[in-house]
Parts: sequence; structure tokens; C-alpha cells
Amino acid sequence: MELNNSFDPIDIALSGMQAQNKNIGLISSNVANANSTDKGDGTPYRRLEAIFKAEGDGIGGVTLDDISTDMSELPRVLKPGHPAADDQGYVAMPNVDLPVEMINLTMAARAYQANVAVMKRYQRMVDTTLELLR
Amino acid sequence: MSKVSSIVDFLEAGIRAESLRQNAIANNVANLQTPGYRRVDVKFEELLAKSLDSDGSVDLDEAVPQLYQPKQTPVKSDGNDVSLEAEVGEMIKNSLRHKLFIRLLQRKYMSMQAAIDVK
Repeated sequence: MELNNSFDPIDIALSGMQAQNKNIGLISSNVANANSTDKGDGTPYRRLEAIFKAEGDGIGGVTLDDISTDMSELPRVLKPGHPAADDQGYVAMPNVDLPVEMINLTMAARAYQANVAVMKRYQRMVDTTLELLR
Repeated sequence: MSKVSSIVDFLEAGIRAESLRQNAIANNVANLQTPGYRRVDVKFEELLAKSLDSDGSVDLDEAVPQLYQPKQTPVKSDGNDVSLEAEVGEMIKNSLRHKLFIRLLQRKYMSMQAAIDVK
């Protein structure tokens, strides 16, 4: 990411906003698919997790390029009449835990707001500097 | 246009570039959901730097602000590459630069005025 040297904090803050945006997209996918026993290939949906990476060495923004699939064990629920039930009547359900997703959502939203606050504060700071020229 | 090296001409060229960039950003935001649309930006500072001579003068015919598609942002599934956050960041930077140039120009005019007003 090219950084315009005079306004670095703006570019860095907005990289944070974009990363959290993608993160919330993952969370909403998890929540929407909390009960999806088929993700298109016959296997149940597995929850997705964001992997944040810092850009450049030293001062830089953040990117969310990597999305990892949570490979922990899928819970088995007793649903005898379900089309995907095995011979004992158990269905493998997605490993999405709604309280966990809600907490992650709150953290992502707060992080997004924090980045917006950085941008706003910086803008006001530069504005007051420009007031010197009045 | 002949060669220019006065700060007034540079500031005015900068203000024109920022105004053009303002249009580009508005266009991008308006096309936030248009499939296949790629964001536009204004190329000016690099042209200015390139055509800057060793004595600090520039032929402003060579350094004209122009619209172009950087094509460097990742494309979403509908072919559109505009991100709202990026455009807001550009808007903030653009308005700060614009304000800076206008105020500097104002200062320059005021000092020219003061020189004329000396009795």
C-alpha cells in the first residue's frame, strides 16, 4: 500500500476500517450459516475466522487477506428425521457458537469505531494547524 | 503557456488538481454499486515532479491534471473496485490539501496587497 507521507494516519486508519469491514462479513456469514448442514459439497458449514496481518515493517496498516476455516470438531445433534442424519439419527451441525460470534461482532464494531475516531481526531488536528494560516 | 516558477501559479495548479480530484471522488461514490466500474483518480503531482526543471520552473502545459483508472484496488465479485472507506479517506485528504493551498494562496495575495499598499 502506497502511503502518502503527509497523511499516513488517514491511510492507516482506513486500512483498519476495511479490515474490520471484511471481518464483520465473515462473522455475518457464520451467523447466517449457523444451521447450514450443507455448504454446497454435502458437508456442514465450518465457521470462518479472520487472520489480520500487519503491512510493511514498522509503521503500516493492516490487511485481512487470510481467512482460516475453523477445523475443530463439529457438534452432533440428534435429529432422527433429518435427510443428513446418520444411521444413529445424529446430524453433524456447523461449529458456530452464536454467543461467540456476537462477542466477536461487538469487538469488530468497536475496532471499526476506534479507527474512525483516529481518522476524525487526525483530521481535526490538521484542521487546527491550517487555522494558523487564516 | 510560458514557463512559470511563481508560487501563485503552482498553488493555482494544485487547487485545480484538487477540484478535479473532488469530482473523481464524487463519481466513485456515486458508482459504489455499479457492476464493472473501476475507481478513477487524478494524476498530477507525479507529472509536476517530472516536468520540474533544475531551476525550479515548470511548463504548466506539460503538467495538466488528468483523470485515470489506477486499477490497483482489488475487484469485488461484481467487477466493482470502489470501497467506501477508501473514498472517505481520499475525501478527507483532498479537502485538507485544498484548504491548505487556498490559505497559502490567500496569504500570498495578502502579502502582495501589503506591498502595494505601502505609502
